[in-house]
Amino acid sequence: MYEFKNELTMSKSGFLFDHSSGQTYTLNPTGKLIFEKMQEGLDDEAILSTLIEEFEVEAHIARRDLEDFIRQLKEMGVI
Amino acid sequence: MPKQKYIKPIIIRHASAGMANKFGRPLTAIPTQRIEGIQIQELAANYGSPLFVLSVRELRQRYRELHRAFANRYPNFQIAYSYKTNYLKSVCSILHQEGAWAEVVSGFEYDIARDLGMPGNQIIFNGPYKKRDELKRAFIDGAIVNIDNYDELNVIESLADELGKTLEIGVRLNMNLNNPPWYKFGFNVESGQAYDVVRRAQSSGKVKVVGLHIHAGTYIDDLTIYQKAAAGILQFYQSIRNQLGVTLKYWDLGGGFASRNTLHWAYLPGEQTCPSYSQYADAISSTLMSIGLPPNEMPRLFIEPGRALVDEPFSLITKVVAEKRLPSGQRAVILDAGMNILSSVQWYKYGIQTVQDSGTMVEDTVLYGGLCMNIDVLNANVSLPQVRFGEYLLIPHVGAYNLSQSWQFIFLKPAVIAIEDGEVKVIKRAETREIVQAAEELPDDFRF
Repeated sequence: MYEFKNELTMSKSGFLFDHSSGQTYTLNPTGKLIFEKMQEGLDDEAILSTLIEEFEVEAHIARRDLEDFIRQLKEMGVI
Repeated sequence: MPKQKYIKPIIIRHASAGMANKFGRPLTAIPTQRIEGIQIQELAANYGSPLFVLSVRELRQRYRELHRAFANRYPNFQIAYSYKTNYLKSVCSILHQEGAWAEVVSGFEYDIARDLGMPGNQIIFNGPYKKRDELKRAFIDGAIVNIDNYDELNVIESLADELGKTLEIGVRLNMNLNNPPWYKFGFNVESGQAYDVVRRAQSSGKVKVVGLHIHAGTYIDDLTIYQKAAAGILQFYQSIRNQLGVTLKYWDLGGGFASRNTLHWAYLPGEQTCPSYSQYADAISSTLMSIGLPPNEMPRLFIEPGRALVDEPFSLITKVVAEKRLPSGQRAVILDAGMNILSSVQWYKYGIQTVQDSGTMVEDTVLYGGLCMNIDVLNANVSLPQVRFGEYLLIPHVGAYNLSQSWQFIFLKPAVIAIEDGEVKVIKRAETREIVQAAEELPDDFRF
């Protein structure tokens, strides 16, 4: 389960606002879905299952991309 | 319920990336799927990747536009295509079909022109190093020779003795036109050196000066440099005409015209800063025409364009072979094309276009070439959508210098195809190991 560093609000279009820093981000639909699942408390495997269920993607590609996405969130200080 | 189309998940931090800049939305997000009506993926599947692709239509069109721009402004005008920019036989031959003469700077290039069937009297032979036998052949063929230095003049005078006739020459000039000035070539005007060499040549009786040549530099987008070059050559001609009785058959303003590529240090993109052919033609012709001679007595005007003709009609198809995330957080993409086949990447910040639809959300990306060499970077920071392993990218405007300067290094050189009227023709096959090693010998003593 991931812990978010600050209070964050996301709009329907994938626009993300960090209430503490004022920093803003944009997520694409895939990124938005993963982010929402993280907020719901899902772990990596559960998020992966959701991705494979909802998108046309092979499991090994989804896993690689999820890892890369999470690394990005860490580097940006979001989680 | 059908599944949604998958695009790699991405988050963009606004302060650093992804926002529209003052030039608007990056074009890289809009895929270019075809070249001359043919699917890029199909071309790569049939001819391999990387792959150079020539649009013959665009090459012909550019030649015609350039010719029209000058011919409309100057009565006696001729283009001589600068072979060194790209001396693929097909490129030279198409331009000769259109009416271009050849401008060569070595015996090797001279031979290419002659083998294509160019008559000697439609070849301009320039450059600082021409061998004696090459000069002899050029004079016998009736080629136009522009001399670069005194040693060359000495050789030509001895050739005049050998051939038993007065040889006509052009003199290459240099002037303080740009920063840094191109003093390597020819004879300096300001110091009086150029005047001295014309006087010396005329007085020998062995050669006759009939032309003046100047070439201010390369990728010149400052029109005032051409105005100054034209004014300088005009003033110099007036002095040698009045004082030494020289009558010119031609003046040659060289090349150096820019293309729409963007230099690394440029503030604005090349698409906005590159002057039009008409602007170059105006800058040169209006100054030369001010000499006030009747049209039939005007020396013939040569220009020697290379980059401005062949850069844009060529594209390079390249494939994504890996992607990774750097410790800085920046995305990196590795391509199957490297600076070994794209040497102009040292000067140009090449534009990159996607081929497949990879979504509209872009991310700052460093593009690495496939060479096992750290300096092989094709673009240090390009806004690129989420292209994936195995997808293609298109690098437009790659026709100048890359093919003639490419190195045989680590990988074999790719094929070059030309498309005209929907028909694809291979104009250079992909290199093979046999071609690369054809000149090598392995003495028995070195075998194991």
